[in-house]
Amino acid sequence: MEADAAKLLGAGLAMGLGAIGPGIGLGTLIGKAIEGIARQPEVAGELRTSMFIGIGVTEAVALYAFVIALILIFVA
Amino acid sequence: MSLQPSDTAPPAASDPTPDRSSAEPSHPAPEARPEVPVKKTRRSGCLAWLLLVIAVFVGLMLIPGGEEEVAEVAGEFELHPIIEIPAIGPIDLSITKAVIYLWITVAIIVAISIVIARTLKPVPGKLQTIIESLYELARDGIAGSVMKQGAERWFPFIGGLFFYILISNLIGLIPLPFGEHEQLAFYAATGNLNVTIVLAVFTFVFTQYAGVKAHGLFRYMRSWAPSGAPPVLKQFIWGIHVISEIFRLVSLSVRLFANMVAGHAILAVFFAMALIFQSYAIAVVLQGGSVAIYLFEIFIAFIQAFIFAVLSAVYIGGALEEGH
Repeated sequence: MEADAAKLLGAGLAMGLGAIGPGIGLGTLIGKAIEGIARQPEVAGELRTSMFIGIGVTEAVALYAFVIALILIFVA
Repeated sequence: MSLQPSDTAPPAASDPTPDRSSAEPSHPAPEARPEVPVKKTRRSGCLAWLLLVIAVFVGLMLIPGGEEEVAEVAGEFELHPIIEIPAIGPIDLSITKAVIYLWITVAIIVAISIVIARTLKPVPGKLQTIIESLYELARDGIAGSVMKQGAERWFPFIGGLFFYILISNLIGLIPLPFGEHEQLAFYAATGNLNVTIVLAVFTFVFTQYAGVKAHGLFRYMRSWAPSGAPPVLKQFIWGIHVISEIFRLVSLSVRLFANMVAGHAILAVFFAMALIFQSYAIAVVLQGGSVAIYLFEIFIAFIQAFIFAVLSAVYIGGALEEGH
């Protein structure tokens, strides 16, 4: 396999596999947050704030994969 | 700078919500306004304006560029010096479009602050309502709700971060003539790793400063490990905490940077796809997709500013709290 082809393949795999975990995590996180809001609408504001913090932290994992993919394509 | 209107804002801040102002007898004026129809036209007008801007941008993207040029997605993030300044050693101080975007951000924030501070009214207008609700979000929603102590003291920094990143992200979604050959193009200053690292370093330094100031250097350092643990475990946990403290720098800066780059790359891919496929049918479908992605990017711009500010507040609040 040529080096360039391997790079592109690696970048695609990194992004695709790296998105699985955060996808599941975000689904669980937001689902639970909505569940909580539905049960206790009076604390919706606080739940939403913590939900966004959680989204930021979880989503970062996928973004690391994205950065690795970029590095593979443009730098490596 | 965004704090200019702050000192006088809180009393007027409760005006835009109708239920609260009806509870306060001192402001009877908002009740007289017909709330619902005004809101509706305002919102749809805003949306129509936005869609018009997007349509114009899409047209500009499609008309002048040949396929080869537009299909180059990564070109957006290449920086060419606009004004060359000779490098001092390893530091290149040339003015690139990233620097110009930072200047524009600062100029907009200062202009909004001055305008709002000069024209504060008890019954807020459109701009004042927007800025007041953002200000309230930064003060009560971010600093006030996340930090248990020191929210008053650290709000200027947190709020400044929030407004700076928000405005910078939003400017990134307006095509400006800084592309290649002075074409209209997208670029976001926060899509540059240097900018986001500097912002994260600010948070990092202020976190340590707040911790040391609140507890003293040695007590703050000691508070990184749990007090009840055996000494070997304590050292181990302390080491892990140091690593996590440094990794916050990476995670904060890379999160914002990668979000902006990913968003812009997806936008560019959607815009360029019609040219790659050379088909009107695909173009029509994809333009709808582009508009949806564009609206989603506006949401992301807001969320990322919010998350950066909230996490900064969490870190600084944690440093203030530790050691009890």
